[in-house]
Amino acid sequence: MKRMLVYIDEEAVDDSIKLLEVGRLLYGDQGFRSYALAAGGRIGEAGSRFDCVFRASHGPVPNYDSATLARCIETLHQTYGFDAIVVPGTHGGRMIAPRAAMRLRAGLVADVTGVGLNGDDVLMVRPAFSGRMLATIVCRGGGPVMMSVRPKVFTYLEPALKTAEFVEVDVRDARLPGVRLIERREQAEARDIRESKVLVAGGGGAIHDFHLLERLAKALSGMVAASRKAVDLDRAPRTIQVGQSGKIVRPRLYIAVGISGSAPHVAGIRNAEYVISVNQDRHAPICSLSDIAVEGDGRAFLEGLLERIEAPRTKIHGGRE
Amino acid sequence: MRILCLLKPVPDVDQLRYDRERNILVREQARLLLNPEDATAAATALGLKRVAPETYIEAVSMAPRGAMPHLEDLVRRGIDRATLLSDPRHAGSDTWVTSRVLARYLSTQDYDCVFCGTHTLDGGTGQVPAQVAEVLGLPLMVGVSTLVELDPRARQAVVEVEGEAALMRFSLELPAVLGFQYNAEHKLPHIRYADLTRDVSERVAVLGNRELRMDEAELGLRGSLTQVRRIEADALEAKDPLRLRGDREGIDQVYHWLEQKGFLQP
Ligand SMILES: Cc1cc2nc3c(=O)[nH]c(=O)nc-3n(C[C@H](O)[C@H](O)[C@H](O)COP(=O)(O)OP(=O)(O)OC[C@H]3O[C@@H](n4cnc5c(N)ncnc54)[C@H](O)[C@@H]3O)c2cc1C
Ligand SMILES: Nc1ncnc2c1ncn2[C@@H]1O[C@H](COP(=O)(O)O)[C@@H](O)[C@H]1O
Repeated sequence: MKRMLVYIDEEAVDDSIKLLEVGRLLYGDQGFRSYALAAGGRIGEAGSRFDCVFRASHGPVPNYDSATLARCIETLHQTYGFDAIVVPGTHGGRMIAPRAAMRLRAGLVADVTGVGLNGDDVLMVRPAFSGRMLATIVCRGGGPVMMSVRPKVFTYLEPALKTAEFVEVDVRDARLPGVRLIERREQAEARDIRESKVLVAGGGGAIHDFHLLERLAKALSGMVAASRKAVDLDRAPRTIQVGQSGKIVRPRLYIAVGISGSAPHVAGIRNAEYVISVNQDRHAPICSLSDIAVEGDGRAFLEGLLERIEAPRTKIHGGRE
Repeated sequence: MRILCLLKPVPDVDQLRYDRERNILVREQARLLLNPEDATAAATALGLKRVAPETYIEAVSMAPRGAMPHLEDLVRRGIDRATLLSDPRHAGSDTWVTSRVLARYLSTQDYDCVFCGTHTLDGGTGQVPAQVAEVLGLPLMVGVSTLVELDPRARQAVVEVEGEAALMRFSLELPAVLGFQYNAEHKLPHIRYADLTRDVSERVAVLGNRELRMDEAELGLRGSLTQVRRIEADALEAKDPLRLRGDREGIDQVYHWLEQKGFLQP
């Protein structure tokens, strides 16, 4: 029986639990015993999804305390001998995994988007070169296979119901001082663009038209997204940036207005089912990735399309009056 | 105050060309540029030096010799010293080896803080800062959007991180490793005209494994714990788009397409 440890980030509990899918893909439903490290205290449904849940015995260890958590993973590995250690690619996870891998002398693959087996070798697939290439990577040496996984890539559809054994781990000896959270301001709770079926995105060629993008998004029951250019110019918040250093989205429809289609941007929209681009430049790279490429001014297009969409409704309202 | 900046020159991804026949990414013609987040880190350090001129900044890069002009360029922009860690035995190193080589050099130096980028454009693993921090036993924060304070006397750094759900402010005990996020506001200064051809050879050095003295079995491909089995173009087929003009007729067609695909509510 294989053993897989999943780190549960207290700020992304559900996404962390979904990483069980990695174990299922590699070892099959019945082929592994699942362990969760929930040192941050929040466990969500982990208690009914994992075989074993580890909690910190003397108060939670927050996800930014990477030095302590790396030591904690090391200690657990010494006791349990995991075959795989999987960490969500969250802000905290991306600090914890490399530190733990260094301590365990284990190869670590970052930003994994797919896994498979080849004989005994675990194959991990990750995007490289701003997502223009896919690299298949294996770990060497005797350590566990370690990976950090892109958020929202794996979904665990039919989780088996389990009753976890809870184990308290004492991390007091592992605790290193060094990082303290001194202030936290919640960002306005916004819907996540990764959950929207339709995204209307604006870039350098639409920076004065975000109000129109907003209207079109509303008409299509979608959300507004942005390229980094628009974010850097303060037209849009970073939370709606699409791309390599923003979010990887998978809407059914992505409308890109005034976006050139640079490699780091395109890295975020590979999984969009349909792309419509509107660009003045018919040679912009985004065009060859589009199902429909509209050549023309973004604002004129938005105004024209909105008029077309909103027109029949106005008529109905008119009729009622 | 002494700041060490870890910098990596990377190929400009927008210039990489994909050769379909050979199934490889053609890197030769792509120009090298300083990883943008590393430039943010260096520019932040130079900003501190402007306020506190006694600040000493050293750039450290593990790269082939061809990266030297980039390092010299940084010295002309005001960085005090640049060290290139370069050795043929480094070729093929993964992040595990890279971090150990960088940490090996750092362990011979005096510093108050290590600045890096959060990820690189080419490999983009974002593992190096954390692994360097682990080898050196230092506190770490990545994704730093703002450096609020760096106080060598109080041995404390205060940084801000713009997270998904919240804006967080952390304090770290120095020395610490800070990974910066790209910030368009922190640009490297231009080189002054008089400095364009300045001889900076006194301020740059190349160190190889003869100086670093690491076990050769732990270097390069041989020492790496991860191995790339295959690299292929993502199956992103260039589509053959329906080309429309943004006139009334084009807009009409888009409208009907949206309707037909069910994107318009009745
Ligand atoms: C480390 C790193 C990470 C990055 N990560 C990301 C990322 O996650 N996401 C991201 O988006 N970018 C990212 N970038 C930036 C990326 O390289 C590009 O600079 C950026 O995507 C450009 O945005 P843009 O296409 O909107 O703007 P521009 O490059 O300014 O392009 C504007 C486009 O709009 C068109 N246009 C202009 N006016 C009009 C008009 N009136 N009507 C119609 N079309 C018009 C132009 O023809 C052009 O194609 C990253 C860069 C680096 C270095
Ligand atoms: N070869 C290198 N030389 C110097 N610094 C590096 C090197 N590789 C990575 N770094 C630093 O680590 C950061 C993250 O890189 P990476 O882990 O490769 O994504 C970079 O932004 C650099 O600051």
